[in-house]
Amino acid sequence: MSFKRSLRSVFVGSIAALALSSSLAMADLVSPPETVRMGFDVDSLSLDVRLQAETTSYRLNDLLYDGLVRLDEHFMPQPALATSWEQPDPLTLIFHLREGVTFHDGSPLKASDVVYTYTTMLDPALNARSRSLYEPIESVTAVDDQTVEFKLKEPYAPLFSYLDLGIVPQSVAEGNANFGASPVGTGPFRFDNWVRGSQINLVANPDYWGGEPAVKRIEVVIVSDGTARAQAMAAGDLDLIYTPLPPAEVRKLEADDRFNHSVVPAASFIYVNFNTADPLLSDPAVRVAISKLIDQATIVDQIYGGMDEAASSILMPAFPWAYDADVKQPTFDLEGAMAELDALGWTMGLDGVRAKDGVRLALTIGTNSEDAERIQSIEYLQNLFASAGIATEVLIVDYPTFMQGNQGGTYQLSFLSWGNLVDPDRAMFGQLHSQGNFNWGKYSNPEVDEALERGREASTPEERAEAYKAAATIIADEVPYYIVSHMRLHAFTSKKLDGFTTDARGFLTDLATPASE
Amino acid sequence: MLAYTIRRLAMFVPLAFGMATITFCLLLFFPGDPVAVLLGDAATPEQIAQTRANLRLDAPWFERLGSFLWGLAQGDLGQSIFQRRPVSAIIIERLGATLELAAAAILIAVVIGLVLGVLAALWRGTFFDMALMFLAQVGISIPVFWLGIMLVYVFSVSLGWLPSISRGPAMGPALMQALSGNPGPLLDSLSHIFLPALSLGLGQAAIISRLVRASVLDVMHEDFVRTARAKGLSRTRVMLVHVLRNALLPIISVVGLRFGVLLAGAVLTESIFAWPGLGQLIITAVSQRDLPLIQGLLLTFALMFALVNLIVDLLYGLVDPRIELE
Repeated sequence: MSFKRSLRSVFVGSIAALALSSSLAMADLVSPPETVRMGFDVDSLSLDVRLQAETTSYRLNDLLYDGLVRLDEHFMPQPALATSWEQPDPLTLIFHLREGVTFHDGSPLKASDVVYTYTTMLDPALNARSRSLYEPIESVTAVDDQTVEFKLKEPYAPLFSYLDLGIVPQSVAEGNANFGASPVGTGPFRFDNWVRGSQINLVANPDYWGGEPAVKRIEVVIVSDGTARAQAMAAGDLDLIYTPLPPAEVRKLEADDRFNHSVVPAASFIYVNFNTADPLLSDPAVRVAISKLIDQATIVDQIYGGMDEAASSILMPAFPWAYDADVKQPTFDLEGAMAELDALGWTMGLDGVRAKDGVRLALTIGTNSEDAERIQSIEYLQNLFASAGIATEVLIVDYPTFMQGNQGGTYQLSFLSWGNLVDPDRAMFGQLHSQGNFNWGKYSNPEVDEALERGREASTPEERAEAYKAAATIIADEVPYYIVSHMRLHAFTSKKLDGFTTDARGFLTDLATPASE
Repeated sequence: MLAYTIRRLAMFVPLAFGMATITFCLLLFFPGDPVAVLLGDAATPEQIAQTRANLRLDAPWFERLGSFLWGLAQGDLGQSIFQRRPVSAIIIERLGATLELAAAAILIAVVIGLVLGVLAALWRGTFFDMALMFLAQVGISIPVFWLGIMLVYVFSVSLGWLPSISRGPAMGPALMQALSGNPGPLLDSLSHIFLPALSLGLGQAAIISRLVRASVLDVMHEDFVRTARAKGLSRTRVMLVHVLRNALLPIISVVGLRFGVLLAGAVLTESIFAWPGLGQLIITAVSQRDLPLIQGLLLTFALMFALVNLIVDLLYGLVDPRIELE
């Protein structure tokens, strides 16, 4: 234990040292425009950072607020409101706050604001969507005005990936039901105004501790329809849009030399969930055989238009420190799958459907109706499965019904995705640990459990990477999840934004580039 | 007529309660859990249970219906589960945009429909008539959604004449400013509303033009028209005063009935043009299962529809003095 402790301190200390010099922006804009106008697909529900739930809120809150740390493009924590931190023991974290930081209303940032932010976040009465990510926190206390101490219930290495949560001013947020509609943070941009369902405007914060941004105004226009958003870009009404966009629109914009096109791996994946609690799918060998019927190349390249990266395992390329291309799940092999099913005793019946001991190999596969590519994918899978002697029923319902079905184990297979996975733990623990909160397929393997727990307790990135690789290897062999693709985020920008780069979450940090002196 | 209007308006009260009860009961059978959507994929079962309790979603249905109706009686539509704000405030801030768009679409539909319908009737059997009726048939068949995207492609992407998205300044204040000598905001407002209103109104214009043509042709063969002509009245005067006034009746009632179709179309048009109205709001509310907001919106739509039909009935009385409103 003492060995671990000392390593952890080295790890934490080295991050602090490394990051002191780093600037906020990922890259600098060549010539920052006065106003940037961008099109997002959903309106924010609330700009109270504690209640953020959709991409728009995450992206704007990143400009409105600062967290104790910020995550760099590889999701490694860098100092933000905390300039340094230490970990005297595995269950204690002490953060030293940056001096002289003020909120947008002019009040100074104090340790009590950090305490207030995290205490309310953990309070069930707030109904915060990401509360479960912070639950290993036992308490947060202010040592003095510039120092905060976190006590943990158990060692929890992924916590740093969530400590970029924006800090809200207690004096403004407490008892203020309207806080989400007129947010106050310490970030490089201030809230200006919001026409619900239509537009959110931010203006540069002249007093920003990192320097006043050169971009003076950000206008976010909400255009829910992807084709309409791409057209607005083509018409010159927008400077920046992101995927999700229909594949055809991506190709059109790509071919238009008025726009820059950049692609980054997103921390999201599309996968097929196997309900391992179902008698037909409880045998890993059957799951492996069925996974060989998933024609990944056609789904990724044809149905999704080549926008994403075909996956080889649950390890995400967005985390270079934990990625390993050598971990490989089964690949498409129709003949091989049929031979394996034969060998397992699932022999072809006269009706063209395989059976074993009088039980037919008949499956249901579900997805949600809002997503045309998902529907095409499962209909294609239905055909492939049928050709291999598996009777497959396709179930397409709207998203809330679909999610209810997943949670209730209604489908034997389902086609869906996970997003905003800012830590490998976030992609695996809840999903595939036997006690995981959203292990809908009831997958259980003690070795996977042990590896995922090790990932939480580990002290160094190397130890964590090794733990996730071990878990991913078993997952690739037993296929409770078949990862179809690691999603990529495509950004289209006008020439006004030359030099702009984004990260896996589509954060707009580059727009905060300070004006050059 | 005043007594009639008051009586009709009083009927809105039972209508509202009836609608509220029906929508509430329908939503009971609506699959999908708002809390699961609210808390996201990563919610724990305990969190879901606790949030259900916080939102009182775990109370028996009759208790929830009772408190919803009691709230309604006090003018309170409840809180949106997702926006965490009063439903009435959310609806009111969006209502203006939808009414503005619907009014502009109706205006476009009536003007285009009337002019083309009358011309087609006057030139019945000519190439113009046939071409027009063919176009009207096409207009009726084109989905609003596709038409919107095409209009943006032509007028915004290719020609660059009009903005492709969002709403300009609100029409009312912009109009006042124009009257006091500053036409800028009004022009901005008009340039933003033109494409969405056109895409929403064209299909209705097609229907109205066919109806006007048929109706005008009918009336033109009535005895009183022949008498008017025989009296020596000009062709224009006969058309405007005698024919059109009588031909207008079925058109008014169709406009009232089509209002519901218009609202449905607005749901699509608003999402293409990023128009911040009720149509976009209901799509989001349904996809999130924001039950109080869905209830509030359905109630609003029902009352709007009832109100438009009341206006239609009142207009009937004005256009045709033979109709008595009692």
